[in-house]
Amino acid sequence: MDTQVSPVVDPPTPASRGGPGARPPAVSRVALAAALLLPPRLTPESVRYDRRYRTVDRYRFVCWFLAPPLLIYTVLVIWPFLQAFFYAMTDWTGFGGEFSMVWSGNFSRMWRDDAFWDALANSLVLLVLAPVITLALGLFFAYMLNAGGRHRRSESVGGVRGAAFYKIVYFLPQVLSVAIIAIVWARVFSPRSGLVNTGLEAVGLGSLAQDNWLGGSWARWVILLVLCWSFVGFYVVLFSAAMAAVPRDIYEAALLDGAGRAATFFRVTFPLTWDTVRTGWIYMGIQALDAFALVIVMVPRGGFDVLPTYLYLKAFREGQAGYATAVGVVLFLITLVFTLVMMRVGRRDRIEF
Amino acid sequence: MTSSPHLHRRTLIRRSAAAGLTALPAMAALSACASGGGGSGGGGKQQNAPGEVTERNPFGLTADSGVEVLIFNGGFEDQYARDVGAVFEEHYGSVEHNATEEISARVQARMVSGNPPDMINNSGADMMPLPALLKEGQVADLRPLFDAPSWDDPAVKVRDTLLPGTVESGQYGGQEVYVLNYAFTVYGTWYSRKLLHDTLEEEYPQTWDQMLAVCEKAKKQGIAGWTYAGHHARYLSFTMMPMMAKVGGPEVFDAIDRLEPGAWKQDAVVAVFEAYEEIAAKGYLLPGTPGINHTESQTEWAKNKALFLPCGTWLENESKADIAPDAEIAVGAATGLDSSDALPFGTLYATAGEPFIVPADAAAPRAGMEFLRIMLGRDAARNFTEKVSSLTSVAGAADGLALPPGLTSAQEAVAAAGENIVAPRFREWYPVFFSDVMGVAMGEMMAGDLTAAEALDRIQAGADAVAADDSVEKYL
Amino acid sequence: MTATASPGTADGPRPAPQGPAPRHRPGAGGGRSEGGVLNVFAHSFLIIWVVMAVGPVLWIVLSSLKPTGDITGSPFGLPTGVEWENFTTAWTEASVGRYALNSVIVLAFSLTGTMLLGAMAAYVIARYEFFGNRAVHYLFIGGLMFPVFLALVPLYFVMDNLGLLNTRPGLVLVYIGYSLPFTIFFLTAFFRTLPGAVHEAATIDGASHTRIFFQIMLPMAKPGLVSIGIFNFLGHWNQFVLPRVLNNADEENFVLPQGLASLMVQQGSYDANWGALYAGLTIAMLPILVVYLSFQRQVQAGLTAGALK
Repeated sequence: MDTQVSPVVDPPTPASRGGPGARPPAVSRVALAAALLLPPRLTPESVRYDRRYRTVDRYRFVCWFLAPPLLIYTVLVIWPFLQAFFYAMTDWTGFGGEFSMVWSGNFSRMWRDDAFWDALANSLVLLVLAPVITLALGLFFAYMLNAGGRHRRSESVGGVRGAAFYKIVYFLPQVLSVAIIAIVWARVFSPRSGLVNTGLEAVGLGSLAQDNWLGGSWARWVILLVLCWSFVGFYVVLFSAAMAAVPRDIYEAALLDGAGRAATFFRVTFPLTWDTVRTGWIYMGIQALDAFALVIVMVPRGGFDVLPTYLYLKAFREGQAGYATAVGVVLFLITLVFTLVMMRVGRRDRIEF
Repeated sequence: MTSSPHLHRRTLIRRSAAAGLTALPAMAALSACASGGGGSGGGGKQQNAPGEVTERNPFGLTADSGVEVLIFNGGFEDQYARDVGAVFEEHYGSVEHNATEEISARVQARMVSGNPPDMINNSGADMMPLPALLKEGQVADLRPLFDAPSWDDPAVKVRDTLLPGTVESGQYGGQEVYVLNYAFTVYGTWYSRKLLHDTLEEEYPQTWDQMLAVCEKAKKQGIAGWTYAGHHARYLSFTMMPMMAKVGGPEVFDAIDRLEPGAWKQDAVVAVFEAYEEIAAKGYLLPGTPGINHTESQTEWAKNKALFLPCGTWLENESKADIAPDAEIAVGAATGLDSSDALPFGTLYATAGEPFIVPADAAAPRAGMEFLRIMLGRDAARNFTEKVSSLTSVAGAADGLALPPGLTSAQEAVAAAGENIVAPRFREWYPVFFSDVMGVAMGEMMAGDLTAAEALDRIQAGADAVAADDSVEKYL
Repeated sequence: MTATASPGTADGPRPAPQGPAPRHRPGAGGGRSEGGVLNVFAHSFLIIWVVMAVGPVLWIVLSSLKPTGDITGSPFGLPTGVEWENFTTAWTEASVGRYALNSVIVLAFSLTGTMLLGAMAAYVIARYEFFGNRAVHYLFIGGLMFPVFLALVPLYFVMDNLGLLNTRPGLVLVYIGYSLPFTIFFLTAFFRTLPGAVHEAATIDGASHTRIFFQIMLPMAKPGLVSIGIFNFLGHWNQFVLPRVLNNADEENFVLPQGLASLMVQQGSYDANWGALYAGLTIAMLPILVVYLSFQRQVQAGLTAGALK
């Protein structure tokens, strides 16, 4: 912080040097610098009346306000992130103080590690499918709420009755902790006393009941379902806001041209809300790449892993902290590539309205 | 190139400890007020100048030698260790007793910073991976304990009071003994005598044909033949492994333990997998079994929804709330294939389990060993058996005790097995392979997702991968 | 991440638009041919999703009132009797009360800290010219790009070296640290839109920088603070990954989501049963649902504003 301040404090302004007449006695730069560390009240008057004091005061304020957040952030966020890239090149177990450099060894091991590839494949499936499904449902419902209603005399497009109610209900999963969501759904899919199997049997579809929804081949689809379930309402609200911002006269023009609801959606609504959709897509993709809580709570060990749970197991169960960090680096790269690709692919000229 | 980022703090702690513990109480106080007083005790106790070494006090402790122990609060809970602690405190200093279900989470960081408790009951689903600890030299050799005079009779060494195989079960490829396995666990097929003998009017099946016949009869009465911990399908190995030994002889385990190529393609192994596949294929499994966890499976079994359950002797304590008082539960030795089996009926999977370790970096490792020495005394061992319905590795300690039915049957099974007690070692040596590869494949086979052959292919490939993986330490 | 940020900046300063209900908008009349059919179609889909969204939650709440026998025996049916004991078991024996208290304590400090430190940094970045201003801003925003899992392992050991692992202050500091990037990103944009004239007038009156911030600028920024406050409130209250890794030593110190997850794992083994688990879930959900239903507009606005990172 000091390095930022000094160049500004140093050059005395022409005013202070050649200022006329009743100038308070000059104080040394040391005193001024010391004032940076003192609260205004305790700053000696001699310093306070110095012309340069205003600058000092500003910088003191800036430093004092920035230092605490910056300190916490640097030590607990930036520093671990940087360390991660280093540990990723070591064979550190996480149980002892010593390790040696293996450089790219962890990454070549990953290349041969089938369990890693399984976890990666599962993460990628979620990354591709979860945003598509969630956003499609979100757009569909949002459009229904905003333009799916009966036409009334005074309106070009109308929302359905009770749109506000639907939004409140749909949004509900979003305020619940993901851990709670995971437990609720784990119970819903429990084979012997869960809602799904007993429900299927109750309506005579017992043959569709599964012994093991949360393991084996079903797990990833259940996770996908829960992931989408918890975010659809969020996107309904988000897209509703975006759609409400589209001026009505554009819809009217479309209707005058004889466009039906579907056409209006694809020609008007979708393009005009594309920016929000794209941002939502990226956000949902990042959520899909996480999925940690859902998988760790719902899926029995060894059944199904995504990259974050694989990382967690390696680091905190199997004593392979170095390797786990290398998995983290891969996860970071995927996030980065996904975001960049989405930003490029989806780029269009922003439509002003 | 070797670096050591944590050495700094480690030396710091040691130095400040040497300098009269000036800095540490402040640090400990800081974290104690935050964590509610939990596991920060490492700095608090002092390693005093050793007291006189006598045969009653082989580790030379004094009246103010404290000890910090961490107990796994699982199926055995932790009262038995509190009782041991009370005895310890009668003779020496105070005991700092902590118990948790998640051992690794509780002490991993303290292991790294060179400040672990003096004794750890490293058990449960979240136990620390012992191979990683051994690689780091974090575990003390317990031979001083096993060669010390026993608690009850100084003329007898500790190792001579234990059941055969106990000391060996703590060895990892060398002479050093890193682990004390305290509970002597019998694994097998659990059933209710009342249900089997009275309701179904059947005897315990000794051959697979009999097994299938019993299951069929149960099915007709609306009782499933089997259930197991679907989410932890490795429990299946508690009955499948001894069956392999019965069918093919104990050599079957040698190849498996050594990760030999084709170990999982031995005839006996294939036969056992196919036998179990048949159970699932004939619909003798309790519906939903693959999707339930161990406690759910034990509850269903205790409610007589299923006849047989693969488990160990901790079952009786863990499910005591669910087991009907008159159920007369019992553990049966592995059912074999037919009369051509290599070993007779009665071949039993039993081994010392429930690992206890003393960290090499502990402040008072000798106090930790003394704690274990008390625990291996006759009184403590009997108390353990009474409290948690499990035998200990201390020979004859449970003699004359009035045991609950399950444990009594386990004792009878041990006696009936005679020489034919078997135990694979790869479970402790390659725990990830055991639970995440073998266990999962077994589960998928029972769920019908894999055939026996596919499951074995998967397991063999997993074993080959472990064998080829330089980062995994090998023990044979 | 800058490009993704753009919609956020656009929306940020306003307390994210909760569009006025469209039906009040005047407009020309439209054709009513497809209206009826589509209306039925739309409504049935909308209602199906209502069942989807509420069903599982409602099932848990109903089940929490059932005796354990009902829960495993007839999970689909209505309760045969009301079993309040589930709630007392959950609250005391299953420690849900304790977990809730831990959550409240951690949240009280972490939310205050995040809002205060976030607002301080954002204000300075937004309204003061100084050397390194942009660098600091980008440093904070850069944090939005990294998945927390990348930092997890090193963070664990950083916390340990600082003596903060498995401590409440440690957890609070970590919550603050990982909430700062978005909070600062959001509030910087907000502070930039506030009029400068008030600030100048106050300066001329001789008010100190600190006073201007606390007495003038913060009150003016209230809408923005409410949005981001709700976002952080739910984020911290529902946090699972960080406590799972950094506060995992002692069950006494578990926060609510973590404690419930661990209850579920040890289900049936010791002192818990399904009824108690469901009651625990209900206890954990109800306050949040009440808050949500009372302030649903602000909550929706706060969280969707949060999405636009």
